[in-house]
Amino acid sequence: MTSGLFLFAEQQVDAPPEQIFALFGAGSGAGWLFDAHCDRVAAGSVVTLSAPIGGSGVPPVDILGRISRVMPPLRIEIVHELPWRGRLRVLFDPADGGGCRLRLFAELDEVGLAWLMRRRGSPLAESVRPGEHLVGLLTSKSGPGGVFAAATENLAAMAVAEVNADGGIRGRPVHLVVGDDATDPGTGVREAQRLVRAGCRTIIATTTSATFARVSAALPAAGVLLVHSLMNEGGLAAPLRVQFGERPYRQLLAAVGSMMRLAGKRWFLAGNDYCWPRVVHAAARHVLNEKAGAVVGESFAPLGSRDFGPLIDAVLEARPDVVLSSFVGADLVAFERQCHARGVRDQARSLALALDEPTRERIGDRACIGMWGVSGYFEQLDVEENRDLLRRYRRAYGPFATPVSSISESAYEAVHLYASAARRVGTDDSAQVARELRRGSFAFPRGTVSMTAGGGMGQQLYLAEAVAGGFSVLPATEHVSRR
Amino acid sequence: MLIVAPDLAFDALADPVRREILAALAECEECSAGELSARIHRVGRTAVSTHLSVLRTAGLIAERRSGRFRYYSVNPTGPAQEVIRLLQDLFQGSLDEVKAAAESAREPGAGTGTKRDS
Repeated sequence: MTSGLFLFAEQQVDAPPEQIFALFGAGSGAGWLFDAHCDRVAAGSVVTLSAPIGGSGVPPVDILGRISRVMPPLRIEIVHELPWRGRLRVLFDPADGGGCRLRLFAELDEVGLAWLMRRRGSPLAESVRPGEHLVGLLTSKSGPGGVFAAATENLAAMAVAEVNADGGIRGRPVHLVVGDDATDPGTGVREAQRLVRAGCRTIIATTTSATFARVSAALPAAGVLLVHSLMNEGGLAAPLRVQFGERPYRQLLAAVGSMMRLAGKRWFLAGNDYCWPRVVHAAARHVLNEKAGAVVGESFAPLGSRDFGPLIDAVLEARPDVVLSSFVGADLVAFERQCHARGVRDQARSLALALDEPTRERIGDRACIGMWGVSGYFEQLDVEENRDLLRRYRRAYGPFATPVSSISESAYEAVHLYASAARRVGTDDSAQVARELRRGSFAFPRGTVSMTAGGGMGQQLYLAEAVAGGFSVLPATEHVSRR
Repeated sequence: MLIVAPDLAFDALADPVRREILAALAECEECSAGELSARIHRVGRTAVSTHLSVLRTAGLIAERRSGRFRYYSVNPTGPAQEVIRLLQDLFQGSLDEVKAAAESAREPGAGTGTKRDS
């Protein structure tokens, strides 16, 4: 972090540093910071801090971070990217008489301060320089979607820097204006309207379909170009509505056959209760029916659920071979961790269409075993464009930044696709840019993508098994040839 | 009471020295310009005065004159101040809870009924 706000807190504790240090991550009722949720207190381990920012009666805000340095029992450092970028350092100094001087240093940047001020209701305006070409990014910096959206802002900003290094859009630098839907459609509409007021005529969304559909309906059909870059169910065909991203039906076609051979024909469908999971389940019934599979149960839980006990009871009772898990973000993390703890993995594999790198690492190296994902991008793809992307990403954001995923890489692509279309048509006219976005083939880190006349995107999909540290990606030919 | 223009406040906060000044004021409640200059090392006294004037115009800090001295404090109604105070309370509160947990564990007979469900 270059510059920021520094905050400091201190406390004298009548206990030795070793004993206080051991409270970290132990879940023993030591407050929001030391009751950090993490599988290991080790550098590189992901950590979630449930900070009571709104006071009592308001749900806490999850700070998604990673332990960056540990020196037992003297020091723990955490870097975090959501909801704001910052760093926390806790120092444990031995004090006279066997006690400990506990110090906390917290840093955040101006973007973080602005996020907090907006969250508290201050209507801050975006500071924009004359001559800039504004592009909105509507993402989830808070709420359950923060888990899957964590790297999207990094990757969108990287693409913007690349576009600008290449002359911007007809000489004007692109300026990214970021909104946070808090994984809530109503908040998404308000944030999208703020981006439009700031001057954005194009908004790239890396939010749930629930937010995208509501924003699409709320913004005028003419005037604002909306691009949904990540996996979605499609269906919002309009001249200024473009939906890239993997479609559930194609994901299932690429995965179901292999999963049936691997695990069996009895499937349980479980997911969050909104439009995308419902379309996923409808598509799954169709594909399973074609392949002589059986649906032995189906259940939904509202987005933001944390206790999946009754739902998992139903899964255990149905004795499926495969659980098709269409939960997203923090809900997917909680559901899969509880499945692991309850022994669901002993009898069933899990296929999760939204399983990506940041979600897998929060499920954890132990609980993710037995899970599979299917999408157009995994970090392990051995393509020169991908190796190059990952090198530049780590150079820009460091070793502790959230890993790249299909979801965040889609934001990188969307910025480049938009800039390329706007340059080709030679005008800012949204209708013309939107038409141009439906043409051409491009080489990206995920491989070659082909834009379709309907406003979608053709791409190779990969089936990938979750393993400790990442994914084992099946060669693309395997499921294609066995279809 | 000052009416704060949020845009002005945000512009005022765009500068790292001004954020540093605010953080210093959040700790000391009220400081003279001289005391502040002694704590802000990266710019000189004249620059600190200029920054204080920007912060005051933005409604983020309050000024009190006493004799030939001027004292500054964070304007409690400023939106940035609300956030800084919130964070300060949040972080101090986290250490207070650690203290309570660590010290109760040391008391004889402790260690029962404190384990939380996760």
